[in-house]
Amino acid sequence: MKKEKKNEIIMNVIISAVCIVLFAIMFMQFKTIEETDITAIENMRETELRTAIAEWKGKYEEALEQLEENKKSIKEYEQTIEDNGEASELIDKDLQEADMKLGKTDIYGEGIVITIKNTDDYQIQAYDLIDLINELRYAGAEAISINDVRIFSTSYIVQLADGLTLVSDQRVTSPFVIKAIGNQTYLSSSLSLKDSGYIDRNKARGMDIELETRNSIQILKNTSNREVKYMKEGEK
Amino acid sequence: MILIAIVIGCILGAVIGIYAPMVPYTYSGYLAIAIIAALDSVFGGIAATLNKNFDLKIFVTGFFGNAILSILLTYLGQKLNVDIYLAAIVVFVGRMFNNLAIIRRYYLNKWPSKKEENKNETEKSK
Repeated sequence: MKKEKKNEIIMNVIISAVCIVLFAIMFMQFKTIEETDITAIENMRETELRTAIAEWKGKYEEALEQLEENKKSIKEYEQTIEDNGEASELIDKDLQEADMKLGKTDIYGEGIVITIKNTDDYQIQAYDLIDLINELRYAGAEAISINDVRIFSTSYIVQLADGLTLVSDQRVTSPFVIKAIGNQTYLSSSLSLKDSGYIDRNKARGMDIELETRNSIQILKNTSNREVKYMKEGEK
Repeated sequence: MILIAIVIGCILGAVIGIYAPMVPYTYSGYLAIAIIAALDSVFGGIAATLNKNFDLKIFVTGFFGNAILSILLTYLGQKLNVDIYLAAIVVFVGRMFNNLAIIRRYYLNKWPSKKEENKNETEKSK
């Protein structure tokens, strides 16, 4: 009788424990579902959500990659634009320098002016001019003109049979005014070296020669233009 | 006596469940399967009681064992990418209906005989 009662109590306790567990779990589940089951996204199964997330992640990564690529190409373009700008600036500078050297523009700068005249004792010949120009070039003259005829790389000075002097297709006569742009000191000192200098040498021969240094000399641009016909760029 | 124990257990369980922390949505699927398994055990226990072959050990081990086994199966199914929990639900709910049918038949068998007895009694009194 006592044992039966004990058994009954044990059974009651176990069954109530089972009920507690069952209801506790059930109510927890009710609560969870009630609080999460609000929108469609939460209705979706976890696997579906996972695939959706993976899909979006893939898309995001793709977009990111594309963005990165585009950024890169934009950078490249910017770089080339910059490079082009630099190159064209350099080319501009080169062109300007070449123009100045070729005498395509009026130029000015410090330098010297030499005036040589025929005298009764001495008639100035073409080679006197050539000699002078060589001396000036040697002394570092950057630009030279004879009677406002610009001397550049293809210039020539020849003596015609009738005594006329031709400088780059233009006739020049005495007095010859030679302008040279360059370092004044170098130019004047190399010309006026004692005895061996151009001035002393030619004065001894009876030439009338005057040297003048100026801070600003204007040399006009070259008017004659020789076409390039035969020479070509490159190696053969 | 046993009814009081059941009622107290239910109320206590409800209170605990309401104040328990929320389960993450990911795990609520496992919990649902466990509940189905437990309910199946409960109905099986009631049916067994009516058939007078109720065994407390079988009931308790079935209650917890089925719940844990169904949770494990669901987990395995997710790992294998097979919805094994559907099979568990089919089995448990099918058994629940079976047990419900047993319970229903038991009371249906009881009810008409009572009614007839009552009828006989009333006829006799007339």
